[in-house]
Amino acid sequence: MAKFVTIGERIHCISPAIKEAFATRNPEAILKRAKEQLDAGATYLDVNIGPAESDGPELMQWAVKLLQENFDNVPLALDTANKAAIEAGIAVYNRAKGKPIVNSADAGDRISYIDLAAANDAIVIALCSNGPIAADNDERMVHCQTMLEHGMMLGMEPTDLWFDPLFVVVKGMQDKQMEVLEAIKMFSDMGLNSTGGLSNNSNGMPKHIRPIMDAALVAMCMMQGLTSAIVNPCDQRLMETIKSCDVFKNNTLYADSYLEL
Amino acid sequence: MPFNFKPQKFNASIKTVEIGCGDKAIKLGGESVFPFYTFDGPIENAPKVGVEITDMGLINATPELIAYYGEGASMADMAKKAAAMEGADFVYLSLEGGDPNGENKSVEDLVAVVKEVADAIDAPLVVAGCKNVEKDAELLPKVAEALQGKNVVIMPAKEENYKAIGAAAGLAYNQKLGAESAVDINLAKQLNVVTTQLGVKPESIVMNVGTATAGYGYEYVVSTMDRVKAAALSQDDAMLQMPILTPVASETWNVKESVASEEDSPEWGSREERGISMEIMTAAADLVSGSNAVVLQHPQSVATISKMIKELV
Repeated sequence: MAKFVTIGERIHCISPAIKEAFATRNPEAILKRAKEQLDAGATYLDVNIGPAESDGPELMQWAVKLLQENFDNVPLALDTANKAAIEAGIAVYNRAKGKPIVNSADAGDRISYIDLAAANDAIVIALCSNGPIAADNDERMVHCQTMLEHGMMLGMEPTDLWFDPLFVVVKGMQDKQMEVLEAIKMFSDMGLNSTGGLSNNSNGMPKHIRPIMDAALVAMCMMQGLTSAIVNPCDQRLMETIKSCDVFKNNTLYADSYLEL
Repeated sequence: MPFNFKPQKFNASIKTVEIGCGDKAIKLGGESVFPFYTFDGPIENAPKVGVEITDMGLINATPELIAYYGEGASMADMAKKAAAMEGADFVYLSLEGGDPNGENKSVEDLVAVVKEVADAIDAPLVVAGCKNVEKDAELLPKVAEALQGKNVVIMPAKEENYKAIGAAAGLAYNQKLGAESAVDINLAKQLNVVTTQLGVKPESIVMNVGTATAGYGYEYVVSTMDRVKAAALSQDDAMLQMPILTPVASETWNVKESVASEEDSPEWGSREERGISMEIMTAAADLVSGSNAVVLQHPQSVATISKMIKELV
């Protein structure tokens, strides 16, 4: 089995520093966050440029080149509602370290992001939803099937669709947590890859609690067969848990220094 | 249904480590397939065969081996004959006389032997210490220094002394380093991690993951080498992609089948033949399990194993 894939989420225009850096094309803040995440063990970096309605394509190309030139062609997830920006980003993307990830499609209005991924030989994150959170796993799996068939009709490898069950917040949806875990098991049983914004579970909790909840959940998810997550790699407890689970799953060979690798 | 051949492709490869200089230099590793899986992809650098000589000369040697080198041969003469042996790719000089529990030769004396051997041949050279971790930590840095520019392998660097030996061989004197663990896959990986953290380039490391003689707990050797190659290729584990170099003779010529005299065990027949059989069987098994190089002693074993490699690659 392959190692768990972490997608670092910290280059996100929701952060004022990153938003400012994108607006002024100032590399400093972006390179700093990229380095922090890679040093902490991230595999992919997510690049969220926001809606970027006016200058999306040009901005995404700038960001892709900036990151790949400075970090040995680090693989990236291109994250924006602006499809033209994603395509422009892929056009300058170097695949030496892995295919680009399109973030993201769903089974509703955003299904055409799968077409975009298929046309550009990319991976796509496929949210099992058509807008609102699925009411139950029957609905989740219908969305999964819809997107899987859509992608395969376009010639995609099933493993290039990374299904996101949509993690739900404990404070408010505690009774739905096991359902999400069961959905991951269903993806895994079908041989499919999966990912998601796992830290959503701990939204609204005190800051010192969140790493504990996130680490516990990622361990349970990996047991169910989750193959990737979009995370804050600077969360040491979470990353240590992921590396330890990779050992238990025999995804990596244990060595005493395994946490440093 | 017709057979549809589908090669097993990996996006990873064993690192290529070059030993020696000039025309005689050899490359270990480089492949992206399991051992001898030439149907899956090319094996550019076939496994190599080394010939072991020791600073102790021909003590305990069998009649044919003594006949090959000649009674009382100097180290320089032995080195030349080892390099000239049919099928030999490199020479492996063991400094077992340095063992404090044995002859306890001085570092100066042993460095002199090393220089005599290195000056006598242009074949690639591997120098192995005496296996005593304290003595090797003192001896091997001096050997690395004395052989600057020869691009030799210095071994063994073990858990207890990798810092001293790694810093000298891998950093200060730009040699190759042999990291040794004893059939312990987790330690094999750990040694590579800490050695690279020291600053030694991964392309400067070969591994001796240990071997046993066939029949002496050999299953553990197979599973260790198998797991190393699986991690290296299918999990792209950079800390296990170093080629494997396995000293075989020093194991196989010390088991009872190779040691028992014909007087004591007449029913077993010729001691020499038994020893050669143990050496060949073990070396063949090591190679198919993942060794990129084996070190042998007897001319017949060297010729046989190198022929086997040529026919398979």
